[in-house]
Amino acid sequence: MKRRLLYLTVTLFAAACLSGCHQKDPEPGDIAGYDEGEEYLSIWVHSIEDTEEGQAYKESVETFNEAYDGQYFADIEFVPRNDSGGGYSDKVNASVMAGGLPDVLTVDGPNISAYAANGIIQPLADLTEEEESEYLPSIIEQGTVNDDLYALGVMESSVGFYYNKDIIEEAGIEIPDADHPWTWSEFLDILEELKPIMDEKGGYPLDMTFPVGETSIYYYAPFVWSGGGELVSDDGLTVDGYFNSDQTKAAMEYFRTIVEKGYMSQAPIDNLFESGRAAFKFDGAWEVNTIYTSYPDINLGVAPYIVSDNWDGGTYTPTGSWAIAASSETKDIEGATELVKWMSGVDSGIRIWNMTKNFPSTYEAFENIDVFQTDENYSALYNQLSTYGHPRPKTPVYPQVSTSFQEVLESVALSGKDVDQELDKAVERIDQKLERYTRE
Amino acid sequence: MKKKNSILGMAFFGPALVLLTLFLFLPMLLTLGFSFTDYFALNPELTHFVGLENYINIFKDDLFVQSFLNTVKFVIIIVPLQCGGALLLALAINKAAHCKKYFKVAFFVPVVMSLAVVSTLWMQIYSPEGILNTLLGNFGIDPQPFIHSADQALPSIAIMSVWQGVGYQMIIFLGGLQNINPALYEAAEMDHASGWQKFKDITLPELKPLCIFVFITVTIGAFRMLVQPMVMTGGGPDHSTYTLVYDIYETGTVNWEMGLASTMAIVFTVFVVILTIIQNVLTKDKEERKHGNKKAKAN
Repeated sequence: MKRRLLYLTVTLFAAACLSGCHQKDPEPGDIAGYDEGEEYLSIWVHSIEDTEEGQAYKESVETFNEAYDGQYFADIEFVPRNDSGGGYSDKVNASVMAGGLPDVLTVDGPNISAYAANGIIQPLADLTEEEESEYLPSIIEQGTVNDDLYALGVMESSVGFYYNKDIIEEAGIEIPDADHPWTWSEFLDILEELKPIMDEKGGYPLDMTFPVGETSIYYYAPFVWSGGGELVSDDGLTVDGYFNSDQTKAAMEYFRTIVEKGYMSQAPIDNLFESGRAAFKFDGAWEVNTIYTSYPDINLGVAPYIVSDNWDGGTYTPTGSWAIAASSETKDIEGATELVKWMSGVDSGIRIWNMTKNFPSTYEAFENIDVFQTDENYSALYNQLSTYGHPRPKTPVYPQVSTSFQEVLESVALSGKDVDQELDKAVERIDQKLERYTRE
Repeated sequence: MKKKNSILGMAFFGPALVLLTLFLFLPMLLTLGFSFTDYFALNPELTHFVGLENYINIFKDDLFVQSFLNTVKFVIIIVPLQCGGALLLALAINKAAHCKKYFKVAFFVPVVMSLAVVSTLWMQIYSPEGILNTLLGNFGIDPQPFIHSADQALPSIAIMSVWQGVGYQMIIFLGGLQNINPALYEAAEMDHASGWQKFKDITLPELKPLCIFVFITVTIGAFRMLVQPMVMTGGGPDHSTYTLVYDIYETGTVNWEMGLASTMAIVFTVFVVILTIIQNVLTKDKEERKHGNKKAKAN
């Protein structure tokens, strides 16, 4: 009797396992709108259905199904994700092991390399030159790994170097035009000039922090790039000589100077810029909307991102956001590519802007959104993005590179540690993670 | 009859067994297995058996060693403060003549709140222009960086954790205090025992089993420190609040190195188990010795 129960338990267990792991594509008619003769395409997005972002994706998928009626049927699944990206990536990881990846899925820009290197996503079907030229160069570059295009951005992003017009006017400072940004040394002089004024207001010339997480590399890697440096090699497999190059070192030391001279607060102070107690601030493009809606008293301007004294006019400003790619498990790469193009295309981009205020990824979408023509701050951000946008490092060990960048920044700029030693230590750590890709 | 009982027993126990196996025992075994491999979450097919390599590597890893030391520091600050604090609060409330319920609820409320919420709240309290610094300013003390300085972040988080958790242990002690036979105190009063003597010779010995329980649970809880540094400092500044569990989490989910993370988890588990056994043995020894003494006296 006992044995029989044991069998029963084992069978139940096995059944639970099998049914849990094995997902079958539905038959036509199972889902409303999925008709006979249509190719079934499943798609995962990193969002909850109830959010504005989720609704935007849902509407984009619905319009896709209308446009490709009789040919394709896309079935959207919402996978919730927490702030640090967990949840969604956990589900992707689990499906890599157990099978059941969808045909198309959203991928965070910096993860594209790792997903491509590990065969989770596959190159898209060829795009025509015309199709490719619709996208901002930063989007194409972000999605390209070893000359293959893997992903297209469902949205794009930028970081602004904001200034308080009233304070700048009071100090009698001229803001340069987009093609002649302040260099590091020029900017130090300006900070020095502003210091007494800001001391009087109980603030700082610069509202800047080096937070843990993706923000630090996203906002401050441009300081390395504008000096001609890169954080990793082109193939993404070498960091020695890049991450610890003279350019990186110079950037880190520049931040230390800013901290040491008291141009910024060592401990982050909430809403320093928003309360009119800082002249400058680096922040995501969303800050414009925040200031317009919540701090109408602040007279906001966007200055060109500052550059190293050795800047040669190359691309250097922050870019990158969630993209969409075809999984390696899809059997119909043509169909998957159509869906990827649709989700990242002009209409979807305009929808994303209207519903979430995230930037679209195509020129045409930007041109069709009034505010990028009429509002000087938004048009400055768009201009910066399309002219000087530089993608973040493309390497399968991106998480380690991102963490290390923030750690070095914090220990050199805030704790005053030796820059060479910290950079070499970081290189050693990243190299350890790279071993997996370099030994084969 | 016996057979029927065993079937009935299995029927009750079976579902729990299946769930426990699926979600507890199996993952534990898998973790042990993964700890000897270079299992990488993004590419499970490339997994190799690497023997003890992970175990050697993590002890050579500065960050792992630092997170281990940080965790020990947390434990050293939190355990005495939380155990002692809970006992003091319980004694005070037990003595309080008025508003007992009010104080009980007031001290217990933080326990009910989510750790993430409490952490966000205290970020405001600790912020450079937050209430704590404003308060200090009124006494002429310069603003402190608290969670933004490598020296102060760990103690700041530890103190917040004590504040958050102390109410739970307080309730346990309070229950214990109310269970002590009042006749003991009456007898002591007849002997003109002082307040301290009553506490030392009656209250403490009577609470002894509870003390051990509280001591062990608080220690294990402190070892598992994760949410507070994650929300408040992200492990910084300069890794000063990076804990073991945080390291395990980041290694496994952010860097996808499941094999390495499993090794860390196994080392962590072994360490906590050893510590618990030591605590158990130490406290039990004293108990038994005492019982032995009592028996000798009785004889």
